[in-house]
Amino acid sequence: MALSKDELKAAILEKALNAPKPQLYVKDFYACDPDAKPREVKNAANDLVKEGKMDFWSSGSTTMYAAKGRAKDEEHR
Amino acid sequence: MPKHDTPLLDELEKGPWPSFVTDLKRQAEKKPECFDILGQLELSFKDRITHWKHGGIVGVFGYGGGIVGRYSDVPDQFPGVAHFHTVRLNQPSSKFYSSAKLRDICNLWEKYGSGMTNMHGSTGDLVLLGTTTPNLEPLFYELTHDLNQDLGGSGSNLRTPECCLGRARCEWGCYDTQALCHHLTMHYQDEIHRPAFPYKFKFKFSGCPNDCVAAIARSDFAVIGTWRDDIRIDQAAVKGYISGEFIPNAGAHSGKDWGKFDIKKEVLDLCPTECMWMEGDTLKIDNSECTRCMHCINVMPRALRPGLKQGATICVGAKAPILDGAQFATMTIPFIDVNPETEFEEVIEVIEKIWDWWMEVGKNRERVGETIMRVGLPTFLKVMEVTPVPQHIKEPRSNPYVFWQEDEVEGGFERDVKEFRKRNAQ
Repeated sequence: MALSKDELKAAILEKALNAPKPQLYVKDFYACDPDAKPREVKNAANDLVKEGKMDFWSSGSTTMYAAKGRAKDEEHR
Repeated sequence: MPKHDTPLLDELEKGPWPSFVTDLKRQAEKKPECFDILGQLELSFKDRITHWKHGGIVGVFGYGGGIVGRYSDVPDQFPGVAHFHTVRLNQPSSKFYSSAKLRDICNLWEKYGSGMTNMHGSTGDLVLLGTTTPNLEPLFYELTHDLNQDLGGSGSNLRTPECCLGRARCEWGCYDTQALCHHLTMHYQDEIHRPAFPYKFKFKFSGCPNDCVAAIARSDFAVIGTWRDDIRIDQAAVKGYISGEFIPNAGAHSGKDWGKFDIKKEVLDLCPTECMWMEGDTLKIDNSECTRCMHCINVMPRALRPGLKQGATICVGAKAPILDGAQFATMTIPFIDVNPETEFEEVIEVIEKIWDWWMEVGKNRERVGETIMRVGLPTFLKVMEVTPVPQHIKEPRSNPYVFWQEDEVEGGFERDVKEFRKRNAQ
């Protein structure tokens, strides 16, 4: 892992806030640190959810990540 | 909430079988939102399209699974089901729960939800159908604090592991399915409750090749009990079946007179590898040819039993989607010890090898079986450090091109072209 965990979290949040699509797959964050293992990226993204900076968006079969406030429930679509 | 006219659904109450429509009407007397379920379903029958939308950010704090957001796309007509979220509960191993536990869960669900359940979801979860967003946190609190139950998996999480009855009730269990299921459920709590993968991932544990939880057909990682020595034969009991002293199939098909038991017709001729024969009145088996179909053992359980060197086979990559593309799992590890004394570290090592590879190589919304199909079984076997065996080959190769690896070619891929051309220069 080239970035520290905090740097990786900052990069993930930056991507989640600025990506054209509000919801992103965990794989979309792998590019934030190509040297990090997929599990490290997943753990960093999940930490951001715990900290209240991101949300999980789940269709029931797949789960995606979104910066807080960017994802919408199906109710509002 | 008003009742709706449901002439199409009413048809489903006719006939001798139980009807979910009748159940819903009865439940609607206590929970009026059930009238709206009936009304919306009637509309779906008329329109020939679902009126449910699913997905969203609903859930309980700290969890990324276990709750599936569900909404009506006609909430003005059916306000009772405007929010109608599904809750998945992690069932106990082999679904051994007391009636008191079920009563407690039902009471809790009457309090916070519609009272409707689906016993069970395809991964075995207790599925609670229909609640609103504000009810989720109080439901979760009481569920975990008072009932000592947890949510199951959904989304891109490890789904709730499921196992057969195993050694608790079955004489054929080749390993303790409940112990393995419980251990891995506890070991992988983070993966069950928070998304971890490109898509869903399912474990299923069957104690013998009868595979009562259909692990080989429905799970990404199927652990199926097997043995590596010889089927145990009690020749006296074989004679007992032939003479009619014992009822074949343990009496499972005794509702009809099938005539006298014929070992040749009912056992020997049905062996898929033809590895059984009689020498006089002695049953012989060429165990090296046995494919563990279990037919002979099922028909003559007093006479035949699995061998004593027991463990499991691991098959990877099944899926059973609703629309299309169902596929069976591929046998990957022919035999593995399933040992509680080592805390199942042999099995965990295999799981994590698959996950590390799939998380990197798998595409979004691609099950591990689809990744294997895309990159090819040889690549997957190389990742798993498994030497291919003839049984891995489905059919003779039709592709004329052989893609050699560099280490398989004398001198490697680097060569001196000028030197090579000298040979043809004259």
